[in-house]
Amino acid sequence: MKLIKAVVRPNKVDEVKEALSKLSISGMTVTEVRGHGKQKGHTAVYRGKEYDVSLLPKMEIEVVVQDGIVDEVIAAISQAARTGEIGDGRVFVIPIEQSYRIRTGERDVI
Amino acid sequence: MAAAALARLNSARQELEAETIRGQAGRAALERFSDQLDALIVQLCADAARPSSDVSVVAVGGYGRRHLCLHSDLDLLVLFDGPIGPAEEQFLRGVLHPLWDLGLVVGHQVRDVLEIHRWRDDDATFLLALGDARVVAGTASLGAHITAIVDTAEARAFMVESLWRLIDERYASFNDTLYQLEPNVKDAPGALRDLTALRTIVRMTDPALLDRGPSDRAKVDEAEEFLLRVRSILHLAGRRNQNVLTHEMQERVASVLGYSGSTPQQQVERLMGDYFRHARSVARAVAWARQAALTPAGENLVTSRDGIRFVDADEALARPATWLCVFQTAIDTGSSITHETLGFIRQHVDRYTAADFFPTPADRDALLRFLKPRLGLYARLSELHDCGLLGRMFPEFEGISCRVVRDFYHKYTVDEHTLLTIRNLERLAAPGGPGRERFASLLADLPDPELLVLSLLYHDVGKWRDEDHTSESMRLARQMLERLQLSPSACATVEFLIENHLKMSLVAFRRDTEDPEIVRQFAELVGTEDQLKMLCVLTLADVAAVSPETMTTWREELLWRLYVDTYNQLTVRYGDEVIDRSQADLSYLVARRPPAVSDTEINRFVEGLPRRYLRLFSPDTIYRHVQLSRDIQPDHVHATLEPKGAAWEVTVVTLDKPFLFSNICGVLSSFGMDILRGHAMTNLNGLVLDMFQFTDRERFLELNPDGRAQMVQLLEEVVAGRCDVGDRLRAREQGVLHRRSGVPRFTPVIHSDNQSSERYTIVDIMANNAVGLLHRVSRLISRHGCDVDLVLIATEGEKAIDVFHLTQAGAKLSEPARLELSADLTRMLEDYDEAD
Repeated sequence: MKLIKAVVRPNKVDEVKEALSKLSISGMTVTEVRGHGKQKGHTAVYRGKEYDVSLLPKMEIEVVVQDGIVDEVIAAISQAARTGEIGDGRVFVIPIEQSYRIRTGERDVI
Repeated sequence: MAAAALARLNSARQELEAETIRGQAGRAALERFSDQLDALIVQLCADAARPSSDVSVVAVGGYGRRHLCLHSDLDLLVLFDGPIGPAEEQFLRGVLHPLWDLGLVVGHQVRDVLEIHRWRDDDATFLLALGDARVVAGTASLGAHITAIVDTAEARAFMVESLWRLIDERYASFNDTLYQLEPNVKDAPGALRDLTALRTIVRMTDPALLDRGPSDRAKVDEAEEFLLRVRSILHLAGRRNQNVLTHEMQERVASVLGYSGSTPQQQVERLMGDYFRHARSVARAVAWARQAALTPAGENLVTSRDGIRFVDADEALARPATWLCVFQTAIDTGSSITHETLGFIRQHVDRYTAADFFPTPADRDALLRFLKPRLGLYARLSELHDCGLLGRMFPEFEGISCRVVRDFYHKYTVDEHTLLTIRNLERLAAPGGPGRERFASLLADLPDPELLVLSLLYHDVGKWRDEDHTSESMRLARQMLERLQLSPSACATVEFLIENHLKMSLVAFRRDTEDPEIVRQFAELVGTEDQLKMLCVLTLADVAAVSPETMTTWREELLWRLYVDTYNQLTVRYGDEVIDRSQADLSYLVARRPPAVSDTEINRFVEGLPRRYLRLFSPDTIYRHVQLSRDIQPDHVHATLEPKGAAWEVTVVTLDKPFLFSNICGVLSSFGMDILRGHAMTNLNGLVLDMFQFTDRERFLELNPDGRAQMVQLLEEVVAGRCDVGDRLRAREQGVLHRRSGVPRFTPVIHSDNQSSERYTIVDIMANNAVGLLHRVSRLISRHGCDVDLVLIATEGEKAIDVFHLTQAGAKLSEPARLELSADLTRMLEDYDEAD
């Protein structure tokens, strides 16, 4: 099992969710986050004053999938979230040792 | 005639004396005596020479109340319906001289009706005397002027306040005790003046007051009868206006009133026992009235300890347009509204239609004042809704009352969601709100925030049905706008906000706002900074009212970034989009043109102006600009100068030349005008259109009939180079009038760049507002050899926010030139601030 953590543009969340649902992945966690990648140090001007906007609002989507479909999921997320511009986001893949369903106590259930 | 009058007066006096001797000269006897004096005055008026204007002889004070004792002063107000000339003076002599000859003590005042409307210039006793006014002779209709004054909330509040003050002063002179061994039956605590004051206060605040609490109306009436009888005896026995119940007089009064007792001492003790019992009843009623703390709070409204309520229920029923005042007053005074009042409204509200609540422009203005976002608005609107008045005033709102729309986000019924949006606005408007200062500053900048509240009130009314709610909300809002007859610009603002109330959240949360095209399109939609600010604040208020969790700080950040990007698009990048002949907006403009304006003229005028121009001005204004530009020659100035609300607006059309903008600003400043907002634009043919709104703090235009002509003439002379505006300004700058003291200062901010616009170097200045600021800044820019192509001028509180679009020889400034200009501007503004 792998935890796939994707940081995407806020307006791309619906498209990513739709792409994942086509892979029959329905369980996910979506979190509002802020951060920056390569485009750090960006500033904006409002009424003549510069202010720091380096921490951009992003959405973080977390899904746990079986090892066999990891590549497919990464491709689906990347395709859905891509604009080709700086700031499209990142996808991280993290190994999962164990997982439990709290209600039933079942192990390694996705 | 004199003999007849004397006989009439003597007869009246004899009758009253006889009643007094029988111990019966109480209220009824004094009223009869007053009536006989009335008849005497009617006769004197009929016999006097006729004045040239209508006249009323009005009884005031005790005579007005018909409580005239044997030697009381005869207080009269002679009221003329016009200036007082020789004919009026002759009339006065004809009335007053016989009264004096009869030995009456006359307290008279002579006024024309215009004078009595200036009651604020008189002392309180004059207004208090008017409270008991009664027309005795002459034109009865003049009495309506008195009624019109006495019935105003302001006069009533003043009278009640004055009465309490006079009572305090009078009590103090009696050492604050009614237990005087030789009491003054007129002035002592618990005596006749207290009764008069009590009845006035009760009449003006709460007619039922004496039926509640520890007071007892019957006992108060009984006390009055007793005191009047005693006073009558004192006047007869003393043969003068005698009101002190001395030891000697006590025996006399006790005897006349028939008190039992084997000795005079016993009779006196019983008399005085009664006196103190009556005085206590009166003093208790006065104390109760003070405790109930009724204060006139508006037309037919009072504030008591348990809240605001109507004085007279019948009047309230007759005038539903005054009901909103209850809620307005509650906000203004921070008071609550009594349950009885809300119940009264709930009980009767169904009798009226929406039109009954706003029949006049003044009532509609009152509604807009009420809707200004501030603390308490949500609570009052909720009460309005709860008692059914909101739904009657705005029938379209009734359809969403308790309306449940099931979706994944909303936590409240549609009506409550709507009211919560207004609570969010109210919190933004309150100082020290919930950490949303940047949005609060937008709300504070808005010239008409009440339109935002009106828009929020209607943004979801279309949800009464299940289909597309926005278009239905628009339809219903148009009905309301038509009913309220708001100005066309106010209607356009409300319609814009309702139509687009979902757009900003859609773009901010679900579109890629880093894409400049998305921002450009959104800026195109909102059109102006004011509409952007309104839509931004409305979106925040709306989303935050969906549920407590919906407007996260993360979403706030997205919303704010979209606002900033759009604001910059509107103020900094708008110069890149110019009007060309193929634009749809332009065809619309050409198609609607009046016969006096040709399509060629329109095309020639607008070509090369920023597209923003078409959003800023209505077609009619554009046609006026076109006409203003006709036959313009070098050094000519075509200008209009008109009042615009509380400010003034000057529109100047001329041909471009160096230092032009600076000179125009200089002319305005040289007259002491404070520029609030404005636009300066240049078209392809070098025609300049400058529009400024300014305030005239020194009231130059108001006080000088030819002030407008003077200003336009100076504009022409300065633009033509025949006059140096610098000379005029230096004189003013050496004075102190242009400096503002006591306002917070901040360090000026200057930003310039060559990236924001494709065509211009942008210089963005935020500085402390001061008369002449724009002139100094633009003069420096011109000295650097720059052309001022576009300017956007705004003032927010004490901040001047100006965005200049500059070129040098038709191109952006070079980097060294830009940096040098910025440095010079910074120095100049900092030096000026220090000097200030």
